[in-house]
Amino acid sequence: MTDWIARRGWRPLAAIAALAAIAVTVIVFAVPGRSPSGAFPVLHPAAAPASWPHLKLPNGTAVLSYPPSLRPIAGDTDAVSAARLGQGGGFQLYLNATPRQGAERLRDWAAFRLRLLRSDDAVSAREISAAQGVKFRGGTGSCLIDGYVTRIGRHHYDEIACLVQGRTSASVIIAAAPVAEWAQARPQLLRAVAAYLVR
Amino acid sequence: MTRSVATAKALKRRPQGLVALAAVGVATIVLAACGSTASAGSSHQHSHAPTHAPATAPAQSPAPTHAPATAPAQSPAPTTAPAHSANPIPPGNGGDGDADNNGGPSDGDGNI
Repeated sequence: MTDWIARRGWRPLAAIAALAAIAVTVIVFAVPGRSPSGAFPVLHPAAAPASWPHLKLPNGTAVLSYPPSLRPIAGDTDAVSAARLGQGGGFQLYLNATPRQGAERLRDWAAFRLRLLRSDDAVSAREISAAQGVKFRGGTGSCLIDGYVTRIGRHHYDEIACLVQGRTSASVIIAAAPVAEWAQARPQLLRAVAAYLVR
Repeated sequence: MTRSVATAKALKRRPQGLVALAAVGVATIVLAACGSTASAGSSHQHSHAPTHAPATAPAQSPAPTHAPATAPAQSPAPTTAPAHSANPIPPGNGGDGDADNNGGPSDGDGNI
């Protein structure tokens, strides 16, 4: 190598190094889906404040607690949902609990959720952070924070989506808000997720 | 044309330039491949080791339920009232009753 440098000079090597650095920079910032991801926040499982109402899954395997500013809304017959709607009818906060229905698994929950969003509701979905072994009241779960754009209406939402395994059953809790309101909504949504009770 | 001839001649005089260009090309391809591989891999932030064995369940193939054609047009001045442009309350809970059938947040069902 020393001989090569002596023969050729240092300029080719310098050019290679400089362009390689540029290439790395371009790749890091330009490849889709490689957004900076932070760590999934630590959940501290705890009962919801006394003022929070509760919704029990029809099969009795989980209890969703929600802030008083939300109201129950209709959804699938085996699930429960609560939401706070804005003046124009838009969703400001959204909570949902649904029993596990099929191939959801703790070990690849994040990939499953993103795949489901892309195939069903969303034109795009990206992971922000994820974690496994998250402690819940009565169980353990795998969680994902992601952002997606709905196929209908092109609405931008961020969500916390957790698959939670209890002693006898598993269920999914979703906590979502429009991206524009995510920063404000996030603490309440995390509180609701931390209060989720499974059996 | 004259310029490109001059460039070619210059490259002939300085073969190390060709070497450098080739090396940069190879490096760029390798780095791009590494980047794609990394993006395809997991970026999960595992706060703890998994403590539960994954439950087995029958395979499921989520089927798209929304036709892209139902999305509102992107034109700046629509002449027809867009049905879903205001992030609405699900009107009558279409489909299987999910909010997400109407542009609302996605629920937690496994799409069965």
